[in-house]
Amino acid sequence: MTTITDPGSPPRRRIRPDQVGVYGLLTVAALIALFPLLWMLSGSLQTLDELLSQDSLLPASPQWGNYVTAWVEGELGMYLLNSVVYTGTAVLGILAVSSLAGYALARLDFAGKGIFQFVILAVMIIPAPAMFLAQYRLLIDLGLTNSRLGYILVLITSGIPMATLIMRSFFANQPRDLEEAAALDGASPLRIFLSVILPLARPGMAAVAVIQGLAAWNEYLMALVLFDDNDLMPVQRGLTSFISADTPQQQILLAATALSILPVVAFYLLAQKQVVKGISAGAIK
Amino acid sequence: MTTVTNTSGPASRRAGGLRRNIIGWLFLAPAVGLIGLFTITPFLQAIELSFQNWDGVSPDTPWVGLDNYRFVFAYDAFWASMRNVAFFAIIGFFAGNGIALAMAVAVHRITRGRTFFRTVFYLPGVLSVVVVGLLFSSMLAPQSGLINNLLGSLGLESLQQNWLGDPDIALPAVAAVFVWFHWGFGFLLFLAGLQDIPAEPYEAADLDGAGAWVKFRYITWPHLAPVTTIVSLLTLLAAMQIFGTVQVLTNGGPGYHTMVPTLLIYGEAFTNHRYGSAAAMSVLFGGALVLLSLLQLGISQRRSRA
Repeated sequence: MTTITDPGSPPRRRIRPDQVGVYGLLTVAALIALFPLLWMLSGSLQTLDELLSQDSLLPASPQWGNYVTAWVEGELGMYLLNSVVYTGTAVLGILAVSSLAGYALARLDFAGKGIFQFVILAVMIIPAPAMFLAQYRLLIDLGLTNSRLGYILVLITSGIPMATLIMRSFFANQPRDLEEAAALDGASPLRIFLSVILPLARPGMAAVAVIQGLAAWNEYLMALVLFDDNDLMPVQRGLTSFISADTPQQQILLAATALSILPVVAFYLLAQKQVVKGISAGAIK
Repeated sequence: MTTVTNTSGPASRRAGGLRRNIIGWLFLAPAVGLIGLFTITPFLQAIELSFQNWDGVSPDTPWVGLDNYRFVFAYDAFWASMRNVAFFAIIGFFAGNGIALAMAVAVHRITRGRTFFRTVFYLPGVLSVVVVGLLFSSMLAPQSGLINNLLGSLGLESLQQNWLGDPDIALPAVAAVFVWFHWGFGFLLFLAGLQDIPAEPYEAADLDGAGAWVKFRYITWPHLAPVTTIVSLLTLLAAMQIFGTVQVLTNGGPGYHTMVPTLLIYGEAFTNHRYGSAAAMSVLFGGALVLLSLLQLGISQRRSRA
């Protein structure tokens, strides 16, 4: 199992001379990774004339008003709030369902467990492009298109398989002592799960929450298919609706893009250690 | 009384009986219900729909046999879209994973600033497909785009291109955007893999006076093999399922030069209202993706047993 240790901590050493070339290479790569984002920030503060003429990479005087225009015309407050609701609800739902299932797979013994594990793996292999049409049709039948509930249920379902496998391997690596003690006291499996297991499951749940949260925040295909009503759209869908309906000027669109990524970038920078752990846990289950 | 201790033997399974089975499946019930309703049902319905006609509105879905598949097999755009994602997969596999591995090795070697570079390299990976499409469509615009202006101001007018409008350039341009977007993912996994390699083999190699390449080839590369397998599979699957970025960048154009299967399926259903042939395409394309996953899983299983 792969773990990521924090490489920023001690021992602090000086840069060795033979590493200068390596640092040069890394700096070039970092500039390429950052450049489109820096350019977005710069462009979002320019006037349209400046942006189209491209005389300078930096704005002559920052046009902060672009952000106000983008926020109001792009209705970003509404879209961002929708995204927060969808992401938050989906993550909570995924955590609840996958910690129950992951615990059962790791600790309980019952007939048919192997079948369920196989189904989980099989379902993970079925790609979204093979299903989104039929999911759309099913949601029509259920009256759940253009509906918050329908979208949230789809988000939760798509997160369950990977989250269940992560929670299973987390529970499987936990010591059994506390559960055994509680079982000897006559506690029921559900009681043990709620009062003994869940409080200790925070690290596993954090990994699940981080990757599923990023996935839900950035989901686009089902949002495109399910929502006609702008009031219900998450921010990714809202952005494309903003481009096609109002054809905003370039600098306004860049400001709207910058506002739309602010929450996820801030989250990433604050919780990057967790994000890195979660990504590895998700890939190497 | 039910216990949760050490209950894996066949004897305890018999003894536990009904109650234990009920409890186990109650824990699984929410997952089973959701996956059954929203994944397995639509998966089966997609197969059924591929043998029917549906306009997206009508309650009637007449059975048409293999007509949709005949249509798809003769549909040039579908094969063009398959070729295009194969191209993205190859570029992502070699260029994307090559950059990811090189940068992971580089970051692993340095003594200061690892967290900084790691954070920056994965930053594009937290953006959405829509945002990446928007950023690059304005940077690559022919008249006002930044890239052409930079080339112009450097006196390199001959290199200016209609990046997303020229049939010969658009596909590599979209592939480059994909690599920019996606390589940080492989980088994170390779870096984690490198940190797990024990120091002893390197120390032994140093005593033998082995060079950097020899150490990479005979210590690093074999140790990374499981990570390489996972990164390869996930990169191939991501490249082949690319959708939102292409929709925003080119919408599949010019012509079908950057069309990808998911976008074609979407358009066939929601623009052309031919859900039956869209479903046939999704069955064929989805089947190809499943085969790819199984192939890769088989390879990695055999390797882990060896």
